[in-house]
Amino acid sequence: MSGIEHPLQIVVGAGGVGKTTLAAAMALKHARAGERTMVMTFDPSLRLKDALGISEAEASEEVEVPVEGEGSLLVSLLDARRTFDRLVRNYAPNEEARERILSNRFYDHLSGALAGVLEYMASERLFEVSRSGRFDRIILDTPPAQQAIDFLKAPERITGFLDSGGVRIALKPWFDAKGRLRGTAKLGFLGRNVEAFFDHMIGLDLLRDMAEFFQAFAPLFDGFKQRAFEVQRLLRAPDTLFSMVSAPGPHRVADTLHFARRLEEAGHRLGPVIVNRVHPLPEGPVKATGGTREGVALLQWLAQREAEGIEALEDLLAGHHPVIRIPLLPEEPTNLDSLASLGEMISESFR
Amino acid sequence: MIAGRLEKLQLIVVTGKGGVGKSSVTAMLGRLLSGMRRKTLLIEVDPRENLHHLFDIPPSGGDVVEVDPFLKIQHLEPRSIIDDLVREKLKVGFLVKRVLASPVHQHFTAGAPGIKEAAVFGRALRWLEGHHPRGIETPECIILDAPATGHGVSWLLAAQLVSDVVKSGPIGEMAADVAAFLGDEARSGTVVVGMAEEMPVEETRELIEAMKTRMQRRPEFVVLNALYPPVPDEGTDSEADDFLHDLWIRRRQINESERARLAAVWEGPLLELPLLPMDPGPALVGRLGVELSRWLSRQASGRGGRG
Repeated sequence: MSGIEHPLQIVVGAGGVGKTTLAAAMALKHARAGERTMVMTFDPSLRLKDALGISEAEASEEVEVPVEGEGSLLVSLLDARRTFDRLVRNYAPNEEARERILSNRFYDHLSGALAGVLEYMASERLFEVSRSGRFDRIILDTPPAQQAIDFLKAPERITGFLDSGGVRIALKPWFDAKGRLRGTAKLGFLGRNVEAFFDHMIGLDLLRDMAEFFQAFAPLFDGFKQRAFEVQRLLRAPDTLFSMVSAPGPHRVADTLHFARRLEEAGHRLGPVIVNRVHPLPEGPVKATGGTREGVALLQWLAQREAEGIEALEDLLAGHHPVIRIPLLPEEPTNLDSLASLGEMISESFR
Repeated sequence: MIAGRLEKLQLIVVTGKGGVGKSSVTAMLGRLLSGMRRKTLLIEVDPRENLHHLFDIPPSGGDVVEVDPFLKIQHLEPRSIIDDLVREKLKVGFLVKRVLASPVHQHFTAGAPGIKEAAVFGRALRWLEGHHPRGIETPECIILDAPATGHGVSWLLAAQLVSDVVKSGPIGEMAADVAAFLGDEARSGTVVVGMAEEMPVEETRELIEAMKTRMQRRPEFVVLNALYPPVPDEGTDSEADDFLHDLWIRRRQINESERARLAAVWEGPLLELPLLPMDPGPALVGRLGVELSRWLSRQASGRGGRG
């Protein structure tokens, strides 16, 4: 095979399933195999930062992790606000527009509240980095979403939003010279009612502030939209492979399956489904006596139920995607070697 | 003391990150309150309905569904509450249609930060005050299973944010009422749920800190869920499966050290719930309820909250 298979890997899954650690482990494994690797991550745990040797103090945007041999590993710490600020700086046509946005009192709240902004920013950054040609392989750990599907919807939501009335409205001044809601005036009596209603409901002042925010953003929208389109294409490119991480247990199967279907329906490539932190099944009969019976029996029960869940998942995925079991470890990786062996574990089961 | 609070509070917000068992804790508290013969409504806002599984009843689909004579559950879409508010205030059919279809409403009224959260609390408050559709009993207590998105405290702070920005009109008034309600110790309280592992404990610590500095409030109590059972004193059992035994000991040690890290910032009541060999369902809720009752009576007899 020429070159590297799937230079872009995106790790998705619900919050709290261990995406960040697995993404770092995969990246380290590739770096140690000689590839120039970047892992883009949100909010890593202190333990993972320690394992990677990134202390709080030097948490800048990109940190190099020492790797022996030809390969290299850069960790990019993603922060929604920082990325948003940079985007404003890059796209704002001039100083004045930039200041207007950054000083708008809604910027703080809206930049976070606009649905999918964090997820969009992650893929936006992925696009930037993949364009740079600095890396053989990029692994993106997606932001902690309540549901794994949120990440995928983000670029569409942003482009949808940009195409929708929302932006058309933002692009035209909302309020006329008299400070009245435009568009309602020509509706006559009805328009005055609608306007009066909005004024009564939330106050026109609030609407004015929000409209100003969108207006200030207007010059950025064209660039945004073009990028969102290219990001979408990148997420569907043959180079891009999704890995899905799930918690074990039979009650997670439906969610995992649902997401796998949605991914494929949307034209993405789903590789392995990684079931993380699985309680291991004991080899052979277990002997436990006295006081230790309770704990050992609990672990056995969990292992049994989780194994049943994984079997059901495998049946339902019908061999289209390998299901990788990562056992619950006695502790989370605390250094580069234990992280790398976790990476090995993933790629070995992948083969 | 905690039991006394649970007998009086009108609103209990159960908050914490995803995957830590908030719904189980919500269900457990609901059963406790219904056992006290308080008319209790559990509200779930997560896009996926979970609570009904825990009671083994059909999903709510937006309706109020009975679990037992004192306990009901309801799944809410914040967006539909805001639309209801428009309907209620506007009354004229064609204007309602116009407003609901208007991009101003879709992107601004409903999309403005904090309004969704404030609307959910606003609805809870109105129901507690008896303003609800006919045929529904006025709840004495509402327990909100807060969604896991964003930071737990953002749900609690949203109404204040809206009330700071929107000074008048029904939304402004609702937000101000809600902010006052959430600040009122006599009427509302928060239960924070976490697990004794690194990231969940980190998030729980941040949440407690944010409540303290930004709301001047503290949780009623903190729950550490799904703890591995303590390892017996007699030490290792040579007969036992070494690997499982070691894994158990190590995971329990992590639980204990993370519990200590939490205890460094939280001196208040701490309810520890065991990891159990049970699937989510009524039996699990019942068993957790037993743990809760025991803990409450230990609290009442002043024998501390740690275990």
